[in-house]
Amino acid sequence: MNANSIHFTPRRLGLIITFSLAALAMIYLSYSLPRLLPGDFVTAMYASSPVTLSAEQEAELRAFYTQPPDFYNYLVKLVKFDWGYSYAFLTPVSALFLEALPWTLLLLGTAHIISISIGFIAGVEASWRQDSRIEKGFVGGMTLLEGIPEISTGVILLVIFALNLQWFPAAGAETAYAKVSFWAWVADVCHHLALPLATLVLAYIPGNFLLARNSMIMVIKAPFITTARAKGLPSRRIRYAHAARNALLPLVTRFGLRLAFMITGVLVVERIHSYPGLGTLLFNAIQARDLPVIQAVVLISSLMVLAIILALELVYRIIDPRIEYER
Amino acid sequence: MKNLKKILVCKIALLMVLILLGPASFSAQAQVDEIRIADGKGDWGYPNPYRHYPRGPGYVRMSWVFDTLVWKDEKGYTPALAKSWTYNPDTLSFTFELNESVKWHDGNPFSSSDVVFTVEYFKKHPYKWVPMGDVSGAEAVGPNKVIIRLTKPYAPFLAYVGGVMPILPKHIWQNVKDPKKYNDPKCFIGTGPYKFVDFNKAKGTYLYEAFENYYQGKPLANRLIYIKAGKPLMTLSTGKVDLANIKPDMAETLKKKGMIILKNARGWNKKLMINHKIAPFNDKRFRQALAHAINQQEIINKAHRGFGYPASFGLLSPDHEFYNPNTPTYAPDPAKARQILESLGYMKDPQGYYSKDGQPLKVEVLSSNITVAGESVADRDGEVIKRQLEAAGIRVDLLHLEQATTDAKVKKWDFNLAISGHGGLLGDARILNRMINPKVTGSVNSARFGANKKLLKLLKDQVAQMDVEKRKAIVFRIQEIYADEVPAISLYYPASMAAYNPKKGINWYYTKGGIGLGIPISQNKMSLVK
Repeated sequence: MNANSIHFTPRRLGLIITFSLAALAMIYLSYSLPRLLPGDFVTAMYASSPVTLSAEQEAELRAFYTQPPDFYNYLVKLVKFDWGYSYAFLTPVSALFLEALPWTLLLLGTAHIISISIGFIAGVEASWRQDSRIEKGFVGGMTLLEGIPEISTGVILLVIFALNLQWFPAAGAETAYAKVSFWAWVADVCHHLALPLATLVLAYIPGNFLLARNSMIMVIKAPFITTARAKGLPSRRIRYAHAARNALLPLVTRFGLRLAFMITGVLVVERIHSYPGLGTLLFNAIQARDLPVIQAVVLISSLMVLAIILALELVYRIIDPRIEYER
Repeated sequence: MKNLKKILVCKIALLMVLILLGPASFSAQAQVDEIRIADGKGDWGYPNPYRHYPRGPGYVRMSWVFDTLVWKDEKGYTPALAKSWTYNPDTLSFTFELNESVKWHDGNPFSSSDVVFTVEYFKKHPYKWVPMGDVSGAEAVGPNKVIIRLTKPYAPFLAYVGGVMPILPKHIWQNVKDPKKYNDPKCFIGTGPYKFVDFNKAKGTYLYEAFENYYQGKPLANRLIYIKAGKPLMTLSTGKVDLANIKPDMAETLKKKGMIILKNARGWNKKLMINHKIAPFNDKRFRQALAHAINQQEIINKAHRGFGYPASFGLLSPDHEFYNPNTPTYAPDPAKARQILESLGYMKDPQGYYSKDGQPLKVEVLSSNITVAGESVADRDGEVIKRQLEAAGIRVDLLHLEQATTDAKVKKWDFNLAISGHGGLLGDARILNRMINPKVTGSVNSARFGANKKLLKLLKDQVAQMDVEKRKAIVFRIQEIYADEVPAISLYYPASMAAYNPKKGINWYYTKGGIGLGIPISQNKMSLVK
């Protein structure tokens, strides 16, 4: 990393200010939008229960569980990292969030690393063999796989590997309260991770592959590749050191955006596999109208989109020095 | 020598019998390391009276930790903290003789003062599951005897108070000013068979440990674990859990894998809510036309592959001891429905739909995915009902909404017809009051019907009638009037099942009348005791 890449020019400062304003708008939306959901916590919790509430009891509960609208107060609390208390659990929202976050990061992070690595290498190799049977087969297969939604892949994998072969567990992130050693626990977590991870990897590889292949096809037509070939450089060096590096940029963007949408991105898979991540947390909170939890999860996910886009803007130039903001 | 031979033969025969029967007969009472129960939703709040979710599974999570004065098993009421109880009609009071050997999880002895304290505490800080309005107070008569006094005769006392009220330890709760905010680990100290150890909110898992000094004997499983798992077929088949609610079409497969299938009695009904406050639904004849337009069996066949039973129009389940077999019924008959509509002045247009005064007869039906035991199910009832109503000449707008949205609209009377559901139909007949009385504000399943004054009076009378036969007669009449008025239409009782692995030697069952207020879940704590 050179010093030039982190130098904050007026243009970059302007970018940061723009992003800050966008962040403020998002904070307001994440505060106000969940309030527009029909129904409230008391109705969602008590309506279908065997409990009979008198009018006074209902009013008392509603007073306990309803926050008067006060955006300024919300903002001040936010700055102090006070996200409020979950109505359902009467515990701090931050504790709930931090309990769920590691599982989502584990699932999504691993899925991205694997799918980008495989997708990228397969894309580079396929493009290098353009018009060959292998390339056509890969493109056809990946296009087909791209069309299969995660929900189908997840269920098919469950039926084959959990129900019939019984190789992997059908639900959860670990065997609850198992009395095992640390390494046995790690193995257990990996065992539980296998199916949701495979579902996500199968869902993400095709996109990465097709993107890497398309970028490479554009790059390998460039004159500097012809020069490299003419210089007699080894094929693998041309592919990876010269061509692939230049094809990396769209993949970085894709990686960033996928990570930014991590909560909504993994929601379906977390639900199918009863995986205890942020998607499940948000889903349950919406069902229960647990407003502070919804607000916090929506806010964090929106801010994450912004932060990652901003980070991408800043790192683009490190990856590709040809990008100049000043011009 | 002959005798020796005889003895040897007898011994071998006995050994053979023991080998053949042994595993089953011994394992029935053997101590097991752990029991795992699956739940599709996972989190139901912390297991204490003020912090569990107000639905059935939340109460069940709490019931492992906190015992009540009396409890229910598969046969009905059974002693718990109270060894015996009597009712004195002259003084309007119940006297409970308490078990002397009860200890709290922290080792302190339990006594009548804890019961008195609990009654007073619940009157001051209401625990929504136990309506204390008809309880005037409690009095300790010695360390192991307590009298609970009523303000007036109250027939559902055992069903709604004695058998539901978790007894709190006075030495812990006496200084707690705001029970909702009390989250010290001591708030989970009870007298129940299991001690609460952990609840993981993100994973929806619970861990309990057997209470060695439980007054009814050490529980059969050392650890009790709830895990979140929405696929009971897989988790049961792979041995990951020992007990789970199942969908009826899984039963055969699981039976082949050696599981025991439990079928619940008909205690939960899917119901069509009617907004009887607005025209045309405020006319009894119109509601009766709707009842004729609906074909209960067709809904069961088409939306639930035949797994269910048509519901009584009188609300109480046919499996209830107070069920009136002469409750009016409405045969599925679109022609009859049309006939009623025409008698109300509706005119048929060329497409076969009705209109009145130039206004087409069009209703909005809200559907949702509510089903028994706190689980959810893909909703197909709405589609079938739409077709049935249209066959009777009523145009329908069907809206599939998420559960909380439907509930919110029903609560505010912002609907025409809505598909909802509730249980409790096997418990005390007070369910009729909760599901009919217009004063019920918190429920979205209640018809909240106040147009028939006679019905309201009978509802009031039945809870005050302590004579079982006289009360039964009143309840019979309530069902007749309710079915005639059709303030809501009970559609069907879904087949409700659970499956368990018998290898652990635990015999699970559905509780007679349901757990507590009538929860149709096969997780009775008494299965793990004795």
